Amino acid sequence: MTELQYVRASRISEALTLLNEVGVKNRILAGNTDLALLLRADPALCERVVDVSLIPELHRITRADNRVIIGAAATFTEVLSNPIIIETAPVLVQACAQVGAVQIRNMGTLGGNVANAAACADSLPALVCLDAEARVHSLQEEQVWPVADVVVRPNHTLIPPGSLLVSLSYPVPPPGCRSVFLKLGRRNAMAISRLTVAVLGWLNSSGRIAEVRIVPGAATPQIRRIQSAEELMLDQLPGTELYAAAARRVADEMIQLTGRRWSTEFKEPALLAMTQRALMQVFEIAPLSSEEGR
Amino acid sequence: MKIEFTLNGSLAIVEAPARISLLTLLREYLDLTGTKEGCGIGECGACTVLLDDRPVNSCLILAPQVGGRRVTTIEGVRGPDGGPNDLQRAFIDYGAVQCGFCIPGMVLSGEALLAANPRPNRKEIRTAIAGNLCRCTGYQQIVDAIQATALRRREKP
Repeated sequence: MTELQYVRASRISEALTLLNEVGVKNRILAGNTDLALLLRADPALCERVVDVSLIPELHRITRADNRVIIGAAATFTEVLSNPIIIETAPVLVQACAQVGAVQIRNMGTLGGNVANAAACADSLPALVCLDAEARVHSLQEEQVWPVADVVVRPNHTLIPPGSLLVSLSYPVPPPGCRSVFLKLGRRNAMAISRLTVAVLGWLNSSGRIAEVRIVPGAATPQIRRIQSAEELMLDQLPGTELYAAAARRVADEMIQLTGRRWSTEFKEPALLAMTQRALMQVFEIAPLSSEEGR
Repeated sequence: MKIEFTLNGSLAIVEAPARISLLTLLREYLDLTGTKEGCGIGECGACTVLLDDRPVNSCLILAPQVGGRRVTTIEGVRGPDGGPNDLQRAFIDYGAVQCGFCIPGMVLSGEALLAANPRPNRKEIRTAIAGNLCRCTGYQQIVDAIQATALRRREKP
């Protein structure tokens, strides 16, 4: 086994310099919750790990104008306990709270969840639902992509070698927006998602649906909004028949994208039910008073 | 490589390969065998230690990641007389210990919870130990022990 090297970057620029050193096969280390297992499975995976988890800038969570910017090395615990995110993106808080258990959430990072791009990544549907963007720095340039485009297929992203995902950001939804993340796993904690769904939306002044975003997770190779279902709902009055029709389109889209697989028999009814349930929670429950919220 | 960190309140300096986990560093380089290896893939929580006061799975941390940081293992949890502390005694009193393999991790998850939230309800306790698997007790006694300790610590600060 080759001797693995460990280096810790204290700034983004230092990380980029290390990642672009000629002749060294690097991997970025953030939470290490996925990398630890990859390194054990393949000791020749890399010659050096570049630890970016302690770069202060990568932990910053700020609100500027109407965007929330989250440093890519913010842990799930940092994200789900942040007052700005709690106020503006309940769907992301709920998704991060479903990741692993406390120990994993204390190490695992939001950026790692995106860059590792597992098909079952819990934060991805929430980020896509928020129309989030990913900012990637390389030595030469900074690029910004929609999170929905960054993940090309499971475990493959547009992020080029030698560059670093530095932050994720989303536009703050308007007041009155509600969002929810539902997860189906074999047990409550430490379970890999079999299926998830993130839904966000709000009504206009006449009670019709002004915006709706529906994103299933662990269902399709790319994590995307299901526009055919969203279009069906726009400008309609919320109601169970509409939810059922929209859920049908979500399930149809999943089957169209993946074909009928061995799991479709289970996933199709589950996705139908979860999508309807999520839509119901977003559009029908009366706003929580402080008393009911407990 | 040389790894320097604060271990249970004292400075530790160890020469070890970068590839090994914190768990291996603790057990095989520092002879602190209170931290257990269960699954080795971050699912069972037997290897839980505190890193800068937060519970983490030591099997999923590379040893050099703790450089310059604070690590607390079960060997660092003890009462004023050097024996078990109040939480550890409560585990015994409430019958929360059977085979004992999960207990070091359970105690550290419990201590981290009580430090952050002195008044946890049962749901919060269950969430805090959701990453610690126990095959013996069925968890109720463990939740009872943590809840009782929270109550006692509030009564006599």
